Amino acid sequence: MVAFSSGRGPFRVRAGRLPPVRRAIVWAAVVLTALLLQSTVFAQIQLVGAKPDLVFLVTIVLAYLEGPSSGALGGFVGGMAEDFLLNQPKGITALTLTLLGYAVGALRQYIASPSPLLPVAVVGAGTVVGEVFFGLVSFLLGQNVGSFAFVLRVALLAGVYNAVLTPFLFPVIRRVVESSRAKAYRW
Amino acid sequence: MAVTRRGRSTRLLVVGLVAASLLTITADYRGGSAGPLEIAGRTTLTVVGSMQDAVTKVFHPFGDFFSGLVRIGSLEASNRRLVQELNDALSQNGRAAYLETEVTQLQGLLHMRQTLQLVGVGANVIGQSISNFEWTITIDQGQSGGIRVGMPVVAGAGLVGHVVETGLTTSVVQLLIDPNSAVAGRLLATGDTGLVVGDRNQDLQMNLVSPSARVTPNEQVVTAGFQGSLYPAGLLIGFVSREYTDPQSLSKIVSVRPAVDFSSLQFVLVLTKNTSNGGPGPTPRPSASGAPSTGPSPTPAPSPSG
Repeated sequence: MVAFSSGRGPFRVRAGRLPPVRRAIVWAAVVLTALLLQSTVFAQIQLVGAKPDLVFLVTIVLAYLEGPSSGALGGFVGGMAEDFLLNQPKGITALTLTLLGYAVGALRQYIASPSPLLPVAVVGAGTVVGEVFFGLVSFLLGQNVGSFAFVLRVALLAGVYNAVLTPFLFPVIRRVVESSRAKAYRW
Repeated sequence: MAVTRRGRSTRLLVVGLVAASLLTITADYRGGSAGPLEIAGRTTLTVVGSMQDAVTKVFHPFGDFFSGLVRIGSLEASNRRLVQELNDALSQNGRAAYLETEVTQLQGLLHMRQTLQLVGVGANVIGQSISNFEWTITIDQGQSGGIRVGMPVVAGAGLVGHVVETGLTTSVVQLLIDPNSAVAGRLLATGDTGLVVGDRNQDLQMNLVSPSARVTPNEQVVTAGFQGSLYPAGLLIGFVSREYTDPQSLSKIVSVRPAVDFSSLQFVLVLTKNTSNGGPGPTPRPSASGAPSTGPSPTPAPSPSG
């Protein structure tokens, strides 16, 4: 408790204790919001028959900002939440997003471009790769996902849709991430 | 040193999470509908469903506005078509009323059980599937409203699908257009039957139709309502859009345009009491004597063997 009344100097290390809990709560709220928006508002505003995948978007942005371990963990939680709302073997989305979060976080360290369009490109490409992987695993588990052409079409459309939404949602998610990270030091 | 340790712990975390995912997939695959994962799924559905309800109430006008904007051209055309159809329907209404009384009297004479007596629970559509590979809707009625898995769901225009998952106050309905949906259908004019399978955003495919069947464009396709089927007989599925014969196959394939517009569903009716056959409803299966059957029944009453 003392640690949080003054978060400077030697208390800094101890002040780091709360953030995991705080961040878990914040992330649960972000994932829940993404799921709710995806199943209500964005389910109605479709792009040539395809919906965006906000949980993919959130995972990729988190991995982009925070690195591979946060990306993998956030992806696992978001994917599991999404899985429990789907009518297919649970765990496929969790598997996809764990690997996607890790991959984006790991690759991020090798990209040193200051371009503001970089998050847009990363989200777009990440969504396409993730959706194709999801389709492939679903197919291997005997799910009826249709032809490869259909999976590719859905993946590309969802990728484009997610990329279009990134400029609006990226600043919001970044704010949430930074506030949940820096709060302890500000006190 | 620190970097390698961090890298290693990250990799350990990822391996752990991947293992957890694979374990979940396996457990769910083997557990079926009774495992602890199903209970967790039902809880998620109940929690998220109640919030979906609130979000939908707030955002529905916006969604309507955008989808209206996109489809403004087709809306005008469909408005003209609807006015035309309404006029036709009004003129047919009088005749239908006359026929209805006639049918009622004849049925009374035959002591026939009414085949299409729909008893159900009305529900609002509060959400759609979050996946691009699944065609479902979420409705605001669940186990507390008497909804059970397998119950048929209809809208004003025709059959919508059936319930695949129930929470306490919400349920998930699989739409006819979902590739996993299959309904026994009957061509209304000739009585030929086939299996109507969903084909995503395309028209439904009616398979296994006899190659000699005569199919007319825009002919109505209704549920066949075989014994033990989920759906009662005579519910409108859609209209024939075209037919084609697969040269390698012994049967004909008929494309069926669904009667229901699945993109703008708002209200549905869940049929809780399936009177035409022993569906999944809470009512006991009616005695077989009243069921219309063709030919002699191949299954005699079970007798104790010993």
